[in-house]
Amino acid sequence: MRRMVPGKRESLIIQMRRGTLEYCVLALLRDQPRYGFDLVRSLAQADGLVTSEGTIYPLLGRLRRDGLVTTTWHESPSGPPRRYYQLTDEGGRALALFTTEWDRFTDAVDRLLQQGDSP
Amino acid sequence: MTTEADALILRYLQQLESQLGDLPANRRQELLDEVHEHIAAARADLEPETGAGVRSLLERLGDPADIAAEARDRSGVQARPARPATPRLEIATIVLLVIPFLGWVLGAVPVWLSRLWTTRDKLVGTVGGLSWVLGGLGTVMVSAGRPVGQPGVDVATTGPNPLEVVLVVAPFVLPLAAAIYLGIRLRGRAGAPATTG
Repeated sequence: MRRMVPGKRESLIIQMRRGTLEYCVLALLRDQPRYGFDLVRSLAQADGLVTSEGTIYPLLGRLRRDGLVTTTWHESPSGPPRRYYQLTDEGGRALALFTTEWDRFTDAVDRLLQQGDSP
Repeated sequence: MTTEADALILRYLQQLESQLGDLPANRRQELLDEVHEHIAAARADLEPETGAGVRSLLERLGDPADIAAEARDRSGVQARPARPATPRLEIATIVLLVIPFLGWVLGAVPVWLSRLWTTRDKLVGTVGGLSWVLGGLGTVMVSAGRPVGQPGVDVATTGPNPLEVVLVVAPFVLPLAAAIYLGIRLRGRAGAPATTG
């Protein structure tokens, strides 16, 4: 269980999460724009990615200022209009680049970890 | 639509606002709006809405101090100890606002340069500062409405018209009230309790 992870591993997970979270957000926006609550709940469903849902909003602000994401307002079936987050062209390119690098990185690490397993 | 839920949410947003004290006002407002929208959407999902449901919704959102720490981190704002201790611009603005006439006009300009006050605070400062216009208007109305040398009307017995009193007193009271209000809002920003640790 994650709850029983010792402190050192906990901080490793935090650092890994930190580096990859923004690309997880971009990936969730690849196919369609989403409003904040929907986006945050989808992220929270991925195990261990998000502990405090509210911390996603500062990240979204950062992505918006960096031009990777834009916001637009859409009517909601119930209640007031909602702010939707949408991937920009630049955001799409950043995601594609990360995906390539991530595949290479995880392949390399996986190979090393498996090598260690078998003598 | 329980009042308990409203109170919980209001307290949460107030805590978040005070924790976000050292962010630029526009960024703070943006973040507050987004979290507010999140709460509204999450609330609509609660069926039926209970106090426990709202509490768990806020727990999932997380400690306001954590959100604020993340916001400082992501926007490159340094933690509290590094920011200037005295908000000089804000103090100068408040001092200007209480100087009659000229200060009221001058105070309405620097209030907009502040990064600590929100747009609403700035509007209060501007309206308060410029309320001498109201006074000028009031004086004109008072003198126009009272025919000179009208026989049989004694001010001492009829007493002043309450509207006239308001129009003459308001330009002196409003800037002072605005200055006090801005001072209180400034204390909320500059002296907000430090984040965890």
